[in-house]
Amino acid sequence: MNLSSLARASSLSTSLASRTLHRSIARRPISCFYSPPSINPKTPLFLRPPIFTATLSDLQKWQNWAKTLASSVGSSFTDSDNGPDSEILHRELNWLVQDALENPNPLFHMESKFETVMKLRVDLGDLYTLWKQRIETRRPFQYVVGCEHWRDLVLSVEEGVLIPRPETELIVDLVYDVVNKNVDLMGGLWVDLGTGSGAIAIGIGRVLGDGGRVIATDLSPVAVQVASFNVKRYNLQDKISVKQGSWFDPLTEFEGRVAGLVSNPPYIPSGHISGLQAEVGRHEPILALDGGEDGMSDLLHLCNGAALMLKSGGFFAFETNGEDQCRLFVDHMESVHKNSFYDLKIVPDFAGIQRFVTGIRL
Amino acid sequence: MSSTILRRACRKPYTILSRYQSISTLFQSPSIPKPQNHVSGFEFQSNNASGWFSSVSNKRLTFSCGSSLNNTLSFSTQAAVVPSTADGLTVDGIVANQWTILDESESDWKSHASAIAQSIRLIKKRLQWEKLKVRLEMLSIHMEKPDLWDDPVNAGRISREYGSLVGKMKTVNSLEQELIEHIDMIKLAHEEDDPELESESVKALLRMRQSVKEKELEALLAGEHDLCSCYIEVQAGAGGTESMDWAGMVMQMYKMWAQRHGYGVTVVDEMRGEIAGIKRATLRVDGEYAYGYAKAEVGAHRLVRISPFDSAKRRHTSFAAVAVTPILGDGSHHVQISESDLRIERYRSGGAGGQHANVTDSAVRITHIPTGITAACQNERSQHQNKASAMAVLQSRLDQREMARQAQMNAQYTQSLTDNSWGNQIRSYVLHPYRMVKDLRTNFEVSDPDSVLEGEIDDFILSFLTDSMDKENEA
Repeated sequence: MNLSSLARASSLSTSLASRTLHRSIARRPISCFYSPPSINPKTPLFLRPPIFTATLSDLQKWQNWAKTLASSVGSSFTDSDNGPDSEILHRELNWLVQDALENPNPLFHMESKFETVMKLRVDLGDLYTLWKQRIETRRPFQYVVGCEHWRDLVLSVEEGVLIPRPETELIVDLVYDVVNKNVDLMGGLWVDLGTGSGAIAIGIGRVLGDGGRVIATDLSPVAVQVASFNVKRYNLQDKISVKQGSWFDPLTEFEGRVAGLVSNPPYIPSGHISGLQAEVGRHEPILALDGGEDGMSDLLHLCNGAALMLKSGGFFAFETNGEDQCRLFVDHMESVHKNSFYDLKIVPDFAGIQRFVTGIRL
Repeated sequence: MSSTILRRACRKPYTILSRYQSISTLFQSPSIPKPQNHVSGFEFQSNNASGWFSSVSNKRLTFSCGSSLNNTLSFSTQAAVVPSTADGLTVDGIVANQWTILDESESDWKSHASAIAQSIRLIKKRLQWEKLKVRLEMLSIHMEKPDLWDDPVNAGRISREYGSLVGKMKTVNSLEQELIEHIDMIKLAHEEDDPELESESVKALLRMRQSVKEKELEALLAGEHDLCSCYIEVQAGAGGTESMDWAGMVMQMYKMWAQRHGYGVTVVDEMRGEIAGIKRATLRVDGEYAYGYAKAEVGAHRLVRISPFDSAKRRHTSFAAVAVTPILGDGSHHVQISESDLRIERYRSGGAGGQHANVTDSAVRITHIPTGITAACQNERSQHQNKASAMAVLQSRLDQREMARQAQMNAQYTQSLTDNSWGNQIRSYVLHPYRMVKDLRTNFEVSDPDSVLEGEIDDFILSFLTDSMDKENEA
């Protein structure tokens, strides 16, 4: 069985079949739920030029309105789908202010004069629209401001690209620990499969040594655009290349030569998709979430690919849905790929959920 | 001839000191002994006392050379130690003269000089001048020991303290020197009938009078970590919503105080009350002397008022506890934290997490298992940053704990330690039946609680710092 057939089998049969089963509208093409694929990714709010103005008093009016809206939520989102409560929304509002204003300080100081002219990166009217979207349509905060703070990075994100999760930050720590014990891996070729915004690839790119390289792949053209934008923003274009394609498809030439393989593949069981938190289910790309009936189809595909792609001594780290998937994954490795891997470990995230599986190719 | 040279030199935009230096070089003769021989009068002088002793005395030497233009070139060891004007006036002499101190706007050099001399005297008192000299002498003996660096940690501590004391001594010495130079210049200008130079010198004296006021304050903050940024932690006492509301007000007071001072203010960790206020919160205050000031706030703060949360409108008394810890710079930590002693948790998380959840809240709590000390942060926008921020709080708390432990072993500090403990009631804020804020340590009081709660607490802080310094001096 070669790699591309593996890829096709996975992406066409399991995930698409289950997706159409569980959703009334078949989401194809996957890349554009809200806007057609953009040639250039949207610029995150905080990077836009401050070409708009508003008086402090008008801004305060907006801020008070936005606060009232945030307070009105109470714990209703939390009660319905574990969404954000008022306290979190208030904090997001402060961050929105930080991103949208060139100098937000006067808003937080009592002594400021009402007629002070404030410079904005977005029209005041659009600020009303953005916060309305946040509360009323549950548009994720990260899409509202166009960025996600992840580790010490600020990554551009937009609709069509999965917002990198805090749990996933740990993959970079795992890689950091491994490459610091092994010079060979530090200078080797690393692969981030289904890179999305490029988060893991960039995180790894910054811990690898001079000789180290990263290839980041994603099926979604929007993700490829956004990841490339982020790679350039951190000036890592010589170290990280972003390729479009399904899983291992763009990598056949590197078979058996990869030093490290990491991924946060879709792992949510199809049956859970309809009950997801509104920010996730209504706004984030299903392609990056739906892992088939038991959520394992892409993970198992990666497992098989890892056996083929990794060189001897190569390291992998994959994120999973939790304890059950970790166990299934390890069982699969131990039965199907007997004698291919060693040092298989299940690593918990900071919430104590068994989140990652790591191992080394024999 | 001399006055022509002087005038020509003075028209150049040089500092007074460099003018004198340029003049003095003209008059320097081979017979002038090397300055190093003249500093031996310092009782704490040691051979390896680095550069400044000689450089200070060097200035002094060239100065006396310039100032005695019309006299014979005479040097005495004494003259190199206590700076004095050409006609023998010293800083202590100025204080003893008790010249009337007029308003700054009055252009009277004696008034300026007197004010400056008073300030210098206060600074010396605050620095515990005599003790400082003894301590410096002791340290310099340690510094000379050949086996000093056998214990690098101890050696580092000694040389740091030595450097810091030398710095303080240098500051005061150069203040005295500067005052004397200004006076000499004024007198000289007067003798030479040069009103332009005279008024310029009086202005220089006025500038010094203004800047030395700031130094007075700095001398009050002469503690080892006073210069550091700090964390201020506020915790609500027993009593439910009313005391949580009070804790929130105290937090707000510190936020506004810090902003007034131009400090950077960040809420690192905040646990809100269900109905109002906070259960606890940690504020990071960034800026010079933040710890030096804020440490005066450690203790329990008491509020008396008619509670807005009591439908029966009864009078309530609530407490909020305040703790302050310095943020030590890299390399000066007292505790080395080992990664394996830590338990790191995501808190306030629920559900399956991962791809299931879109969260902007990535609060992290770190527990130092051996001590049980915890630190949390949820203010940052990434989990990674929250973790780093919580680690910094943890480091600060562990450092503080270790310093307290060391201080306890050192009898000298026991007194101040018990005074500053977290549970001691230090200040009372009464909103009903009368209105007053009173510090129970200094008896300093203010009848306008609103301004205090809006962050005007400097007078409380200064009166406490002055008070505790006086007590230390008496001890």
